[in-house]
Amino acid sequence: MQYTSEVVEQAVEALSGFPGIGRRTALRLVMHLLKRPDMEVARLAEALLKLKTDLFVCKICNNVSDGETCQVCSNPAREASLICVVEDYSDQMAIESTGQYRGVYHILSGLISPMDGIGPEDIHVNSLLKRAEDGSVNEVIMALSATVEGDTTMYYLARKLKDYGVKTSCIARGIAVGGEIEYADEITLARSLQQRTPYSV
Amino acid sequence: MLLKTLQLFNFKNHADLRLDFKPGINAITGSNGSGKTNVLDAIFFLSNGKSFFNSIDSQLVRMSADFFSIHGWFEEDVDILVQFDTQRKKTIKRNEKAYKRLIDHIGYLQTVFITPYDIALVNEGSEERRRFVDFTLCQTSPSYLQALSQYKKALDARNALLKAAEGRPLDTILLEAYDDKLAGPGQYIADARAEFSKEFFGLLKAVWNHLSGPNDELNWTYETQWSQPQSYRTFLAEAHAQDCQAGRSTRGIHKDDWVFELNGQSLKRMGSQGQIKSAIIAIKLAQFDYFKSKTGKTPVLLLDDIFEKIDKQRSDALIQWVGSGRMPQIFITDTHYERIRSHTEQLGLELSQHHL
Ligand SMILES: [Zn+2]
Repeated sequence: MQYTSEVVEQAVEALSGFPGIGRRTALRLVMHLLKRPDMEVARLAEALLKLKTDLFVCKICNNVSDGETCQVCSNPAREASLICVVEDYSDQMAIESTGQYRGVYHILSGLISPMDGIGPEDIHVNSLLKRAEDGSVNEVIMALSATVEGDTTMYYLARKLKDYGVKTSCIARGIAVGGEIEYADEITLARSLQQRTPYSV
Repeated sequence: MLLKTLQLFNFKNHADLRLDFKPGINAITGSNGSGKTNVLDAIFFLSNGKSFFNSIDSQLVRMSADFFSIHGWFEEDVDILVQFDTQRKKTIKRNEKAYKRLIDHIGYLQTVFITPYDIALVNEGSEERRRFVDFTLCQTSPSYLQALSQYKKALDARNALLKAAEGRPLDTILLEAYDDKLAGPGQYIADARAEFSKEFFGLLKAVWNHLSGPNDELNWTYETQWSQPQSYRTFLAEAHAQDCQAGRSTRGIHKDDWVFELNGQSLKRMGSQGQIKSAIIAIKLAQFDYFKSKTGKTPVLLLDDIFEKIDKQRSDALIQWVGSGRMPQIFITDTHYERIRSHTEQLGLELSQHHL
């Protein structure tokens, strides 16, 4: 598609690089922005710029942060000896929003995936092992996807952490809440049976 | 399950084709290039969600079109619709409800496709035989299908890792992580294949004796590198150095093979063309019996150009086997209607012609 304006062309080009956004959708967004008041567009531009200028990565857990360390790591009420390992920021938010977790996090920023050329050295594995080194960590909970990438990353971490005497666990996988057993696939079901939990009344 | 109507849009050479089938023998006739085999492949597609011949769907779209669809109406008000669009993905609907995952459709409807290309089962490499066994097992066992898909994903990742290392030794722990993912499904698949091989051999012998008489003895054996009591993980771990050097996974069920022997000698090397053809028909008919015994349903039988490629004695024996009251519906292609008629009239089945 050829636009009559180079400015529109540039905006569409920039937006169509986002996940899930093709040129058509990008053009719709551009048309929408053109109709909005100047102030609103300026605020959007500013917010986008701040992502790069005012945002830090927590030097402890690699989470996004407004300062050197994030709100979780700098909160004395959180248990620093309990670390939950997640793939990325959105997974961390999902766990945080349960309101059930009182420990701290470690964001890997990816999973081991040879198909994509990602090895352990390309994600934040070493900084996790460093945190475990001094003996202040009791347990590492691994909350990673149940995929080949998630599973192999978990195996790798668990084996490495074993050397530091750190207890490792992974979040339970099984029948979804409200799910019916007959619709569960056999592997999930077999796993749920294997890793059953005591039930007492 | 009887197929009553088939409607194709832009599938291979068929822009718009509707065929109304009947119980009994459906003779699909037409000159070479009229697309007879494509009709059978479309029926196969309805049952398996992919072409028998070509796994790249975009290559099945008719020239200058941008989609194809295959719609089949079966007895008991079942209809299956496959749609493929070059822009979007493939969807399969049963009774207007789309499957969330295409693999959930596999196993709903079995087909046995006998084609001249089956010769690859004996003459080509082990991949052909693994594909045949995997296909047969996947049709009847969702657990096998799942194990196979898990195994393939983990194997692809492990191979990518080994390839990227370019012969350098790798972190053992990293390789172990993949061994861990492969061990469960690998062991499951090996056990399932061993059990299948035994059961299938029993069926194969019965068909073979019918086709060839008791003088020739056909044998098929399952060959695999791993065996109990060694654990599958140790079996994989032993090959780490070798794998790093080769840049791929050198051990595992992805190397399995089945060996055909006739009277104690390799069928591929020592068998006559006629004996090899008989063996292939026997394998396919045993597959038919296997499906039937496992699902309790009669598979759809597709016979592609068999009278042209197989001599009269064998095709008669084949027709007798399939016609002995067990086939409610058969699809046969041939350039000559008369040839189908003369071969099948002894069966006393209803015969209908569909000329392309
Ligand atoms: Zn932090």
